[in-house]
Amino acid sequence: MIEFFAEVADWFTDPSNWQGIDGIPNRMWEHVQMTALSTGFAALIAIPPAIILAHRRIGGVLVVAGVNIARAVPSFAIVAIALPITIRLGLGLGFWPTFLALLFLAVPPMFSNTYAGITGVDPALVESARGMGLTERQTMTRIEVPVALPVIIAGLRIATVQVIATATLGALVAWGGLGRYIIDGFATQDIPEVFAGGILVALLAITAELAFNIFERAVTPAGQRYEERIGTAR
Amino acid sequence: MTLIAQAASGWFRWDWITNNADAIWDRTLEHVYLTALAVGIGLIISLVLSVVSLKWRPTYQPITWVTGILYTIPSLALFAFLVPVTGLSVLTAEIGLVSYTLLILIRNIVTGIDAVPADVLESAAGMGYTQGRRFWDIELPIAVPVIITGIRIATVTVIGLVTVTSLIGLGGLGFFILRGLQNFSSPIGTTQIFIGTILSVVLAVAADVSLAGIQRWLTPWANRGVAE
Amino acid sequence: MIELSDVSKTFRGTDAPAVGRLSLNVGVGETVVLVGPSGCGKTTTLKMINRLIEPTSGTIVIDGQSVTDVPAHELRRSIGYVIQQIGLFPHRTIRQNIATVPGLLGWEKWRVADRIDELADLVDINPDMLDRYPSELSGGERQRIGVARALAADPPVLLMDEPFGAVDPIVRARLQEGLLSLQERLHKTIVLVTHDIDEAILLGDRVAILNVGGHLEQYDTPAEILRSPASPFVADFLGTDRGIKRLSLIPIRDIELEHGPVVSADAGSEEIEQVMAASGVDWIAVGSDGQLDGWVPREDVRAAGSLTGVALRPFETTLDISDSLKEALDAVVSSHTSVAAVFEEGRYLGMLSIDTISEEIVQ
Repeated sequence: MIEFFAEVADWFTDPSNWQGIDGIPNRMWEHVQMTALSTGFAALIAIPPAIILAHRRIGGVLVVAGVNIARAVPSFAIVAIALPITIRLGLGLGFWPTFLALLFLAVPPMFSNTYAGITGVDPALVESARGMGLTERQTMTRIEVPVALPVIIAGLRIATVQVIATATLGALVAWGGLGRYIIDGFATQDIPEVFAGGILVALLAITAELAFNIFERAVTPAGQRYEERIGTAR
Repeated sequence: MTLIAQAASGWFRWDWITNNADAIWDRTLEHVYLTALAVGIGLIISLVLSVVSLKWRPTYQPITWVTGILYTIPSLALFAFLVPVTGLSVLTAEIGLVSYTLLILIRNIVTGIDAVPADVLESAAGMGYTQGRRFWDIELPIAVPVIITGIRIATVTVIGLVTVTSLIGLGGLGFFILRGLQNFSSPIGTTQIFIGTILSVVLAVAADVSLAGIQRWLTPWANRGVAE
Repeated sequence: MIELSDVSKTFRGTDAPAVGRLSLNVGVGETVVLVGPSGCGKTTTLKMINRLIEPTSGTIVIDGQSVTDVPAHELRRSIGYVIQQIGLFPHRTIRQNIATVPGLLGWEKWRVADRIDELADLVDINPDMLDRYPSELSGGERQRIGVARALAADPPVLLMDEPFGAVDPIVRARLQEGLLSLQERLHKTIVLVTHDIDEAILLGDRVAILNVGGHLEQYDTPAEILRSPASPFVADFLGTDRGIKRLSLIPIRDIELEHGPVVSADAGSEEIEQVMAASGVDWIAVGSDGQLDGWVPREDVRAAGSLTGVALRPFETTLDISDSLKEALDAVVSSHTSVAAVFEEGRYLGMLSIDTISEEIVQ
């Protein structure tokens, strides 16, 4: 056991693992960049429509059904299916199948949390806002979104952590990222590398989770804490 | 008809499915086995930890914290940690899978029990229930709907994660997904990916619906209308 | 039956006791109501009887045995307990709910089934309600089930904490009536907590008025308390309509009725004037032995000279001999004639005027 951890330590202290395409800085950057891109675009796609639909109280049943179905599809499968699709589309391997898969993965939790957050706003607040003369858009932007913000951010958190996790599988479709260490390590039986890759990915995921938690708490008005009743999706 | 068949054969190979029906069935069984084992063990551990949390409130935070970290760690990373210790085995897969169920199950069990109305607890005490008997006869049965919801979420999650165990030599239906990736350029590869995916989804939906049915069967009282 | 001796309760973290040295005795078959403002410790006191709250000091004895002699859960299986929200088990049918304590005591199935039939009859439960779940019942129905459940093992003592507080006034009145008739049949020893002085007066054989900190201000029958409140606090608590409250406790049966200014239909105008003057009223009633036909205002009689052919006005409000003086007062105040006519099963018995009524209070 001890020798094993020594080998892992060696891997981390080996300077060649810090340089070049396969170096830690690059792979970390790739992973972070891909996460940011996919969650960013997913947020643009998912959040505004969710706010509007939730505000108008349309489509609730579909949302629940849709999220349940999306949860039933393994994230591994989403990455795998993306590959033949992007190839047929001429987009090739590597970046595109990974990006599209992660995009597809991130949208449901963001959409459902945003929807739930907006519909969960106290109807009395919305009613008094309308009564005071706020337009529908003002009601959304000044009342509903700020009150629902912690829940929306929770959706971002869930999606981001899920994306970080699934991006590790991107290595299977010839992409890079931290998953490379794990997949390549398995392939070459370099188990210390596998372990090291695991540490890096875990650190990234936990950091993201903590950062979002702090952010969520910061935007929660004092005295109001939203308990997530529905289990976080993976 | 032949044109469609020809175009489809560029994507799909039905004959591969019929030829490998046995393997598909075996892998499906493997998938169900890995899932049932993980959720079953996870449930037992979660029940124990939930009772601990409920009896000694201060332990709930640390327990949630630890299971939360286990949940956040990406599955691939978790398997990466376990492989050096337990090798490429069912044990590795199960330790990983069970870890993912804990947060969901514990949270749902504790929330479900907490949600039992105070007047029900008081009247039970007033009638002469001991604390232990009250937990088993009253609190737990009332919490069943919430607990089963947790089991449903955990089961669907685990069914998805079992596919990742293909990387450590198991995978259930994920085996075909991985193979398909390795043959990505051929229609056999596409077929494999599709069959692995579709059957996983069917399995997940079937499990979800069955559990929902079990919940309705176990709790006839939860579905009756309100009189006033 | 129940003796509280110097019972105190101080909760952890507070200085002032919730209940300070309370002594109280409840007789067998008696209904005692604990009533007082919030903070007076009435619920705390009740809960100390079945040890849901353990006293800080003092003793509680039920039927000669201290409540601490047996384990708490055993004690509670011999005491019926009804709370405001009732707390029916949502996951069990009504039948299973009622059978709870018998189940805990290990009764045989046939005994439980028999008992449930008895209770259904006693508390007026529709048999096809038995296999439903609590969520399907209305508030009033649930309350009655709660009482049935408390009585299931036939405990000698019943504790009730604001049992009728969560329903609307109409249902509440019905439930109170139900409890009174139940007591007439069962003669349980009941301790009931309420914040409603009217309910206390209605239901209690004796009423204990508690002040903040469990201080016992007065403990007596409702009639006595209303007649002479022991302190300004009690007088305040009883409210400014104390006199009228007393009236509700006196049945018409108990007092002597006036004959009233009644003449037969063929009476002469002289007789009519005499009777009106004697009673000091400006109208005349027409009737014969045991029958009251109506009344006529003085002007109409004088105009016609006699009663022949004069239209009779009916007495709008009539009372039964089982009504209370409070109802009589209401009838007197709201009628043209300023009297209330009293009947028993259609037979006219006599009249009540404001003077007769107020004489009862002044005594």
